[in-house]
Amino acid sequence: MKLHDCWKQIGTWGDKSCPQLAEAVHCRNCPTYSAAAAQLLDREVDATYLAQSALEIRTVRQTVARDTDSAVVFRIGAEWLALPSHLVHEVGVLRPIHSLPHRRSATVLGIANVRGALLICISLHALLGIDKAPVVTSASRTLVHERLLVVGHEGERLVLPVDEVFGVHRFHAEQLGETPATVAKSTATYTRATLPWRDKTVGLLDEQLLFYSINKSLS
Amino acid sequence: MLFILFQLGQDRYALDASNLVEILPLAQVKALPHAPVGIAGIIDYHGVTLPVIDLSDLALGHPSVARISTRILIAEIATGRRFALIAERANRLLQRDATDFVEPEVTVEAAPYLGPITRDDSGIVQWITPQKLFSNAVCDALYQQAREAA
Repeated sequence: MKLHDCWKQIGTWGDKSCPQLAEAVHCRNCPTYSAAAAQLLDREVDATYLAQSALEIRTVRQTVARDTDSAVVFRIGAEWLALPSHLVHEVGVLRPIHSLPHRRSATVLGIANVRGALLICISLHALLGIDKAPVVTSASRTLVHERLLVVGHEGERLVLPVDEVFGVHRFHAEQLGETPATVAKSTATYTRATLPWRDKTVGLLDEQLLFYSINKSLS
Repeated sequence: MLFILFQLGQDRYALDASNLVEILPLAQVKALPHAPVGIAGIIDYHGVTLPVIDLSDLALGHPSVARISTRILIAEIATGRRFALIAERANRLLQRDATDFVEPEVTVEAAPYLGPITRDDSGIVQWITPQKLFSNAVCDALYQQAREAA
């Protein structure tokens, strides 16, 4: 097929002497250029082309599971847990927690100053019944930082001190596993599902139940 | 509304893009012997067998020429009821409102799928309704055949 490639001679890619350039500015706006494209599309096809496209149309589409959900993974005592990312507003460094007078509850630790706002600190250790016993640190992981998780639920903000924060872990809903029914620990009660993370299994906390219990301990 | 333009012979026709699922390059079609006029055969569309209608064959009596610009349009006329259309020079789009189309003075009884017309710089464009390409009886028979062949 022979195309008259005027765009390469007098057009945008040539010496730009084409009188129509004054109006079209660029060859891609010119009807001659699009007519040449249509001419290319009018080429006849052979049997190989037909067979190739039939093969592409025939191929059954595979759906790919993408990591659509995310959770913040953190550690309480020896347990690795996770909370859906949308609940976690920020991860802060440890601040002094001021205890509240006439409060005997082990769950409510007191209040902390987070950027000028006084937020209530809740002990997940006490709520979930996990010992604060420090885990034996191996030689490769000597530096462990305790953090404050600032979480928000239905317009209310709370601070949860945790022993360590890994960060955000992305996953697909299909990766979630059932909580083993045999585990009698109270952690299992608050766990909505289990999530594989590295070589461990992380419990994804049930935010509805968790915040319900927190609110109950506050009243 | 967005329309896909194609040609039957030298004339231009339009299909409502909301009727279409996908536009594919022309592919090999398995022929169905003794099929009614306009039925080019069947194709395997990602594991589903669809009847293929050659619009040129249906309207003008000669099959579409195998060109790059000749494409397969997957149309959906009702939920789950899809078929493939072979259309020549299906490589342009047209943006028009439904009110821009007017009923033609002349209607052809043998071709109920020919709808209202509109104009642009290059001439007249006629709206094709894929639902009316075949009567319901032929449509049912087609799907029966496509299922059996699969």
